[in-house]
Amino acid sequence: MSPRVVLFGLDGATYTVLDDLVHRGVMPFLGEFMERSARRTLRSTIPPLTPPAWTTVVTGRSPGAHGVFNFLQFEGEDSPYLRIISSRSICTETIWSIVARHGLRAGSLNFVAHHPAPKIDGYVIPGWVPWRWVKQHSHPAELVDRLKGALPGFDVKELAMNFKEEEKAVAGSRLEDYEPWIDLHIRRERQWFEVMRYQMLHDPCELVGIVFDGVDKLQHLVWQFLDPKTSSGKQTPEFRRIQEKCWKYFSQIDDFLRETVNLVGSDGHVIIVSDHGFTGTTEVVYINTFLEQQGYLKWLPTAELELPESRELGEAHPYHLTHFDMPHTRAFASSASSNGIHIPIDGARGMSGVSRAGYTALQDEISDALLTQCADPETGDPLVTYVWKREDVFAGPHVNLAPSLTLALRDCGFFSVLRSDCIVRSRPVVMGCHHPDGVFLAHGPAVRPGVAEHPLALVDVAPTVLHLLSVPIPSEFEGRIPRDVLSDSWTAKAHELNPVAVRELAQPTESESIDVGEDKEGEAQILMRLRALGYIE
Amino acid sequence: MTMPDRGKIRGDLLHILTHLRDDWEYSGEISEDTGLFRDLNFESIDAVALGSAIEDHYNQSLPFAEFLMKANQRQAQDITVGELVTFVAENVKSQGGSP
Repeated sequence: MSPRVVLFGLDGATYTVLDDLVHRGVMPFLGEFMERSARRTLRSTIPPLTPPAWTTVVTGRSPGAHGVFNFLQFEGEDSPYLRIISSRSICTETIWSIVARHGLRAGSLNFVAHHPAPKIDGYVIPGWVPWRWVKQHSHPAELVDRLKGALPGFDVKELAMNFKEEEKAVAGSRLEDYEPWIDLHIRRERQWFEVMRYQMLHDPCELVGIVFDGVDKLQHLVWQFLDPKTSSGKQTPEFRRIQEKCWKYFSQIDDFLRETVNLVGSDGHVIIVSDHGFTGTTEVVYINTFLEQQGYLKWLPTAELELPESRELGEAHPYHLTHFDMPHTRAFASSASSNGIHIPIDGARGMSGVSRAGYTALQDEISDALLTQCADPETGDPLVTYVWKREDVFAGPHVNLAPSLTLALRDCGFFSVLRSDCIVRSRPVVMGCHHPDGVFLAHGPAVRPGVAEHPLALVDVAPTVLHLLSVPIPSEFEGRIPRDVLSDSWTAKAHELNPVAVRELAQPTESESIDVGEDKEGEAQILMRLRALGYIE
Repeated sequence: MTMPDRGKIRGDLLHILTHLRDDWEYSGEISEDTGLFRDLNFESIDAVALGSAIEDHYNQSLPFAEFLMKANQRQAQDITVGELVTFVAENVKSQGGSP
């Protein structure tokens, strides 16, 4: 039995890069795939971040409902302690268990917040797990041992996210560090693909999902080698060599896609999905320093000023609340990637803070300050282009886990949470960062090929997957089956099976239409510090 | 629903850790005196993953972030299995998960 749907996840994939690689001939099969696919922009969550975004993909619910907002979040409604998310953080059902309720089997590979693995009818190897724990956190319990015996070259240390190795890889500053680091991800993706292929052949499931997260990793570090704006024209031999190594990575993904489509056959569907897109970031905004300057935050004396040579590390280091003088702090950012600011309420989470009665007024006040006072000191241009109040953008039982305010910066970057002597610095070189616009490419007999300008939302992926499996859409799903992606016969079937879940035409919502900043073309330089990854959270 | 006692929790944790050590290239005996970082060569992310495994075993959330943060604040050099057993015994509620 071939899978009826494969969710082919490319973490952080963007048409900006994929189209260029197709044009260059690096990804020829993707080019053919695109011609036969329904192509849409896939609008990410707010902010466009891996944990809430992939969780939305696999639950069909938004963060306020599924409860995942960041890699690190408060341990509970009343806890002031931050913890790394796990499968217990997902508070709604996933597509893996939903299909099981309808008698189908599912396989899930390398999705975030899936450890310990949910005990579904099928298999799960979670992503973002240190290598020592892959076996323990996978399902079924014997799966990893079975793969060790069956797959020559299977190496759980390469398969897993080895945090120590990742840190070592990004700690260098020399040009020669790039290629081994890209090779690491080439090998790692090969491990995941070999697992998927073996499982598809020997433990067939109707639904298979896999995430190749090296796309995101590479783009963070080597954006200048992939962005068409900076990667063309005359370059140094070193630049060309690293660029070709990047292309080797994507060429391998192209091979994986070709083989996946062949394994699925003509009766099944392959959907390429990214959790968010990518663009370049040219500066670092020190948001806690801005809050300090505005009188909302006070550091403890033990909170050291960021050293100039580590200025980009700010994205990587979450600040636990021990760095702030909490009795004198009314707003703080604790981790970079959420681009979120928390306003503590007096007595809640055991913190001092603003009174409940004064919370909304302070939210408005800080929002206004961010939009009007947080500016480039040289030009006066605003650094913050949009501020979302959590009550306006999130809904559901877990809203209180979200930051009070979520920001969009002018270059789409993540802010730093480190203490600094200024609120903005230029990066030494342009780096990659997340953009709200990801990719959706659906291929198969139910799909109506073609391109449409209107975007889909991440919440639309789960109902589409379930519909292609002829599984009824749960009423609590927040997305819809995009009717114009399906052929007429499948649309009729969709109406029959899910009469209220078919959308005539996807229209961007107000929040989806917000201009969150322009792509910024930075000055490309070869010798960049790899420490800027900012992703070991 | 039964409340696991300290002896039961000790056995559960030793089972989890012993079950894993073949892959961890650790052949020593694991006891309450075993240090997660000193003896088992944990990295901090492994301690977090262990917390997730224990939560999964008892099918309930436990305040591991608070436990790890307080250990960090008191500048503890290590966390022993015995300290972990005590933490779980103090925080686990009536057992609703797998034995």
